[in-house]
This record gives sequence, C-alpha cells and structure tokens, in this order.
Amino acid sequence: MWRIRLLDHLVQAATWMAGGLLILTIVAVFYYLLAESRYAFTRKFPYGFRIALQSPDSEYRDEVSMDPTASLLATHREGTDELDDAEDATRLPPHEELASMQSLVTATAQTSDPAQLRADELFRDCMRAPKTAEQGERFLLLAFAMPSYTGKTMELAWEPDVAFEPEFAPYEFRLRLLRAPKGISIEPIEINLNQQPRGRITLPVWKAHSQQEWLNGYLFELEARPTTTTTVATLQQFFKPDWAPTILYARFGMLPLLLSTLLITLLAITFATPLGLAAAVYLSEQASPRIREWFKPILEILAAIPTVVLGYFGVVLVAPALQKLFGEALQLTSGRGLLATALMMTVFILPTVISLSEDALRAVPNSLREGAEALGLTLAECVRLILLPAAKSGLIAAVLLAIARVMGETMIVWILSGGTPVMPDFSSPSAALATLVKPTRAIPDTIAIEMGNVEFESPHYGHLFLLGLTLFVLTLFINLLGFAYRKRAQLQF
Amino acid sequence: MEVQATYLERVRAGEWEALAARRDKARLRKNALSSALFGGVGAFTILLVFLLLAVIVYKGAPTISWEFLSQPPKEGMSAGGIWPMIRGSLLLMLGTFLLATPIGIFGGVCLAEYGERSRIMRLMHASVAALAGTPPIVYGLFGLAIFVLKFKLGVSLLSGWLTLTLFSLPVIVLTTESALKTVPSALIDGGLALGLSRWQTLWRIALPYAMPGIMTGVILSLGRAAGEATPVLFTASIYYSTAQLTLGWETLRQPVANLPYYLAEGYRQPGVVPDHLIWGACLTLIVLVLLMNAAAILIRTCARRRYL
Repeated sequence: MWRIRLLDHLVQAATWMAGGLLILTIVAVFYYLLAESRYAFTRKFPYGFRIALQSPDSEYRDEVSMDPTASLLATHREGTDELDDAEDATRLPPHEELASMQSLVTATAQTSDPAQLRADELFRDCMRAPKTAEQGERFLLLAFAMPSYTGKTMELAWEPDVAFEPEFAPYEFRLRLLRAPKGISIEPIEINLNQQPRGRITLPVWKAHSQQEWLNGYLFELEARPTTTTTVATLQQFFKPDWAPTILYARFGMLPLLLSTLLITLLAITFATPLGLAAAVYLSEQASPRIREWFKPILEILAAIPTVVLGYFGVVLVAPALQKLFGEALQLTSGRGLLATALMMTVFILPTVISLSEDALRAVPNSLREGAEALGLTLAECVRLILLPAAKSGLIAAVLLAIARVMGETMIVWILSGGTPVMPDFSSPSAALATLVKPTRAIPDTIAIEMGNVEFESPHYGHLFLLGLTLFVLTLFINLLGFAYRKRAQLQF
Repeated sequence: MEVQATYLERVRAGEWEALAARRDKARLRKNALSSALFGGVGAFTILLVFLLLAVIVYKGAPTISWEFLSQPPKEGMSAGGIWPMIRGSLLLMLGTFLLATPIGIFGGVCLAEYGERSRIMRLMHASVAALAGTPPIVYGLFGLAIFVLKFKLGVSLLSGWLTLTLFSLPVIVLTTESALKTVPSALIDGGLALGLSRWQTLWRIALPYAMPGIMTGVILSLGRAAGEATPVLFTASIYYSTAQLTLGWETLRQPVANLPYYLAEGYRQPGVVPDHLIWGACLTLIVLVLLMNAAAILIRTCARRRYL
C-alpha cells in the first residue's frame, strides 16, 4: 500500500515539475534574451574624432587613416575609474610613467622613420572607441614638431568622424591641455568636443630634437566620459531606419527590419484569411463527412511540409514569375523580395488558418444552423449573418495565432527575402510597388544570417538578441491575446 | 446547448426573417456563387498540396538512389550523397523524442488533471499557449544563450536535443491535454470507485485510453521539429560533414549536419550544391516528415476503429 502511495506522490511531483518547467521555460526565455541583450548597451563607440597636428596653412585632410596602429604618440591611459572631477589638478602623469608607456614607443616604431615625417603628419588620429559604456576612456596625446619643421606656430585641429550626433552621444568628449613644454606659457585649454565638434587651436611651435625629448612636448588628454544617456542612446538608435552592423561605425537601427516583418505578415494574413475562411466554411458546412475525412490529412501534409522546402518553392516557382511580371519595370535581378516571401508565407499559414477556423466554426452549436434553415436562409446568408458572428472569437484567435507564426517564420524569409534591409516607402505608387516587389529583410532572417558570423558578446551580438527579444515580446503579446480569445470562444458555447 | 437570444438578436432575427421571406433569384444566385467559391478554395488548397508534392517528386526522384542515401558528400559537396545529414536529422529526432515525450506527457497530465483551478494553473495554461506560438528562431537564440554558452555545451548534438525538446514540448503538452480530456469521466470514476489510487487510474485507465491521441501529437511535433532548421541553426548545426555511422559519447559534444540546415545553406549559396542534390534532399526530408505523419494518421485511424 505504501508503495502505491509513494508512486502517487512521485507521479504528482513529476507532473508538477513538468508543469513548472513550462512556466520556467517562458520566464527563462525572456530572462536570457534580455540578459544577452545587455551587450547591445555596452557597445563600442560608433563615432570618434580625428585629431591632427598640422602647420597652420595646411588644410585638414579627409583621408586620415583609421587604422589604430597608425596613431602616433597617442596612447590610451588605463585606470578609468579615476575619472573624477576632483582630481583635475593632479592628473598630470609623471615623466617616468609617460616614458614607460609601451604603446608610445611601439606606436612610433610601427610608423616609418619619424624623422621623415613632416609636422602636419605628426599625429594623425587618436580616434578610439571606448570599449564599454560603463567605463570612460582617456587618451594621452603628445604634440611636438620635428626639427625640420619651419613654421612659427603649429595647429591642433580636430573634426568629428562620420555620423556625429551630439544629441545621441552616450559620451562626452573633452580635450584638455595637461602640460605645456618648459619655457612656453599659454592659457589652459579645455574644450568640450560635443559642443564644438570641429575646430582648431594654435600652439607656439615646440621642436623635439631627440626621441627622449618627445616626452617633453605638449601633453593633451582626450577624455570620453560616459553620460547618463547610454541606454537611451542605444534604444534611440535601435528605432532608427538604418541597419548596417558590419561597417566600421556600425548602425543598429532595426526599423526597416521590423516594418518589413510587419508588412510581410500583413500581406500574408490578407491573402490567407479570406482563403482560409472560405475553405473552412466549405469544410465545416458543405463538405460531406467522407470528403472531410480526406481533407484533414491532406491539410496536415501541407502543414507538415518543412518551411525550408516551401522557401525553395518560392525560389523556383514564385520568384521567376514575379521577375517576369515586374522585372523590366523595376530592373530586378531576381524575383526574391517582399511579395514572393508573403506569397509563400500564405501557403505556409493556410493550413493553420483553415483547421483553426474550421474548429471555431464547428464549435458553433447546430441549433443556430437549424434555426437559420428553419427561417429559410440560404447557406451563404447563414454563414454571413449567423455563423461568422457567432464564431467571431474563435476566428480572431485563429488569425492571431497565424499572425504570430508568420512573424516568427525564419526559413522562408531567409531564402526568399533577398536580404537587403530597406525602409518601406509608400510615398508614390511606383515607390510602393518597388517596396512590395524588391528585396527586403525581416527580423528573423537577420538573426539567422548574422548570428553565424558575429563575434560573441559584441554589441552586434547584443543587438541580435535585442531583435529576438522584440520578436518574442511581439509574438508573446499576440499569442496571449489569441489565448484570451480562444478561451472566450470556449466559454461562449 | 441552448443559446439565449438577447433582445438585439431577436430584433436582428426579425431582419433575417424578412430576408428569408424574399423570394428572388438574386439570393439563390449569390448562394450558389459563394458555395462554389468555398468549394473552389477548398479544391485549390488540395490542388496546391498535390502540386507541391508532384514538383518535389518529379524533380527529386531521379536523384534518389541507394548511393545518394548512404554516401557522404564528395568533391566539396558537389557530388556524393547526403547520409551524414540524414543521420544527423535522425539523431536529433531520436534524442528529442526520448527527452520531450515523458516531460510533455507529464506536463499534459498536469494541465488536464488540475484544470484552471488556481492562479498558478492559469499561468501554466497561458505559458503553454505562449510557448506554442513562440517563433523557432527565439528558441534558437535561447538555446544559444543558455545551452551553448551558459552551460558550455558548445554547438553540439546535446544542445540541439535540449533546444528541440523545448521547441516541441508545448505541442506535446497541448495534445496530451486534449487527449486526456476526451477520456470519459465514467471510466475514471469507475477506476476510482474500484479503489485504484490516482496514479493507478492515470496509468492504467486514462493514459492507455488517451495514448493514440498523445502519440499522434508526439509524432506530429517530432515531424515539425525534424523539418525545422531554425532551432538547431546556432545550437547543433554544421554545414559540411562526412561523418559515417560511428557513434560514441563524443558524438554528443559534436555538431551534426542535418537535412533542413543543409537545404537552407544550399539555397542560400547557389552554385555550391548542384540543384539535383538539393531536390533529392528535399524529397528525402519530405518523405521523412510525411512518413511520420502517415504513422500518426495510421495510429489515429486504428485507435478510432478500436474505440468506436
């Protein structure tokens, strides 16, 4: 007897554990997507400053090398937690510390013979990305002229790198003079680069005759101090229409991906709902039980066709047809694009819509049908006036479920979308047509494609998780809404 | 069940009566038209299925041979067979089956047994519904974050199993729940009246009765898992593999090639894998999935015969 009771308890425990696992899973999915998204917020700095020492008559040249190894005499000073206003007076590094900074020496060694450099090439770029948002970074810059330099003054010039947007800047850049060379007295310099992103200051010339003397030159400090807007800035960029994660200054605006996902979903649902409803009405109201018995397994076969295969069908059957139709007008290289994707999505979602709507229609009690028939209504009228309104909740649930599945379907978009992130443009009919037919890129395929060659724990990786989180939250919302409607439908009859 | 007509509905019923009293041909014409439309769409759907299947069989059948099914790819994937991918898909399915079935059945029992009595049960119902509709790519990301990186299982068969298990779990749970709900309460009450314990009733009466329904759900969800490349994309997949039959403990920690991923990469990088191989793999995958479906349908039909 005790054995049976023990088994009773064991089974009960197993049941609760399995049920708990389900709740745990959804919480864990949410938590881990959120947790991995944090790397999106510790991103590298998307822009920087180019700073050069040059002779006053020279123009600032645009083709400054972005290669970090080319930075001459600019070094990165560790110990960022000492970023503190109070210690302004004491931040001058001792001479020995400067001399011991390996990067000063190695940076020099990596460049061609310093003696041949002209003053305006002396130090080129100190553009560096602070590694994380939480920490600030600072760079030390030594400014001096070569003995061969003939000018009376030299000029420190800076300009923002591409895409500098002070209002979104998660960092505040400050350039300040820490120390002037001996024998030269100038005003203290401190410039907020966010407020003055482009400018130049003139310095009295100071020449270094040996490598040891370099260290006595003008010592500047460039400080990147995090402002409180890091999170806001990341999110603001997240909702901008520019997805270019692999370029040097990566942009993570997911708006085109989101809109394209929504557009594909909208189109697919617009196609699939009337078709699915009609077939469901046929199945539940007109078809004989024999036909229905055959129909259901066939529908299941359609539902079971793997989405990879459906995507390939799109490539083989739908895309060429679309290219033939619109190819000349829009100069398409292939028919892959939003419309092709939406069409295959329709095929993908059709069985789900049909069988769920059929369930909803069959849940309507027969007394309603009989009443309609007794009144003398035709079948079409009965469907329109009585069955559809009665089954409304169930039908809405079916459509919502279909929406969530289309949104998250990956393989069809991966194969068929064409892979170019573009903003949908409905400003003119021709633009709208181009938007509909031309290649696009949605959220799921972006994750699938880019996760393959992303560096783990990089901002790009974080943003892919942020995309996943967006998708998850969207579908979660829709699913729960669908769940509520389904429950309402169950309670109704 | 009776449906009570509200006042509004009674008013509208008056309209319907008026409509029904009209005897014009337009109404009948409209009815015939829409009936034809409904039937037409139904026929279209069936045609669509047969069209898709016919294209696959037509294009893929010439490739199928014993060599194609049993040999690894050769010459940089431009020749040879797809055995490693079939093997990988089967391995993934097997492990998922072993892991997901017991958990899914217990989960379904939990949902069916305790109903929506408490707040936590309502939460459970809602989370199963939400999980069932969660996109496979989200499972893939989750698997990457937790199994591959957090538990340090790496991109491996094991991570793939766990991810696919989570992916197919909700469907199994839901079908188990609905199958258990079809068990007549007279049977259960009879069992309890005989003095069986709750567990014995479940084990001896409810589960055997519901088993065909449960197995149908399990097989269908396995079929879905087998055809879905996305959850295993980052957790278990490798594009190129020449692995033979060897199996061992280290297989668990190695990535596996599988059919859907092979197809997905094959389409995306046109020219690497020749078309006829892709079509052959398509056909193989479909046959694999449809065999599972056929098994599910068979079980259902047999069970219906037995109980009706």
